[in-house]
Amino acid sequence: MFAKLHIANGHFRRLLTNGWRGARASWDWYCELGHGNESEARGLRLLREWLSPEQLAQYDAHRHFDVTGCHSGKRYRIRHGIGTNIHELDDAGRLKSGWCFVPRDCLVAGDVMLAQKIALETNEQGALAVARKFAPRWSAP
Amino acid sequence: MATQIVMDHNGDSRHKFDPKDAEALLKAEERFKQLTGSGFTAAVRTPSGEPVITRRFDPTAEETLFFSRLVGG
Repeated sequence: MFAKLHIANGHFRRLLTNGWRGARASWDWYCELGHGNESEARGLRLLREWLSPEQLAQYDAHRHFDVTGCHSGKRYRIRHGIGTNIHELDDAGRLKSGWCFVPRDCLVAGDVMLAQKIALETNEQGALAVARKFAPRWSAP
Repeated sequence: MATQIVMDHNGDSRHKFDPKDAEALLKAEERFKQLTGSGFTAAVRTPSGEPVITRRFDPTAEETLFFSRLVGG
């Protein structure tokens, strides 16, 4: 019985996750068509223009994308957000530690993620030098 | 037309200019110097799409992106 409950719980969680993901993707699409917050939409459009095809596919599917640090070759995962949204990945692709750095100006999510991507891909050491480290609590899908 | 894109609270502000127009080019160079001088990072994309940080105004760059200094969150 407990096994059945556990399986049902897993199915329910997956259903919720997929539903949430679908809703967020629809909202992004809605924003990009200009119906949502125009600033948010502009930020997302700019981000999409600068992501590599692989990063864009990953972002569309999971609302996060991976970048490679230009100095260390380490991989980082940037998830949708405006702070505490960067995670260093270990060799197995598991979340290792969190890094938080953002542009000083108050920017929309698309802009923040794009600045973080460019910083890690072009000046990893400089970005991490100002970053605050945090323990990862988020579990990647 | 070339474009300088400055990230701001509205998403971004775009400044288009004709690189063949000497006056417009000078204005764009001044904007570049003003922004980078106040701590903004300027980035362009290589033909393969990879971002590169640039510290000098490139009159041939089709698109230059600017974002403010990074700080710990």
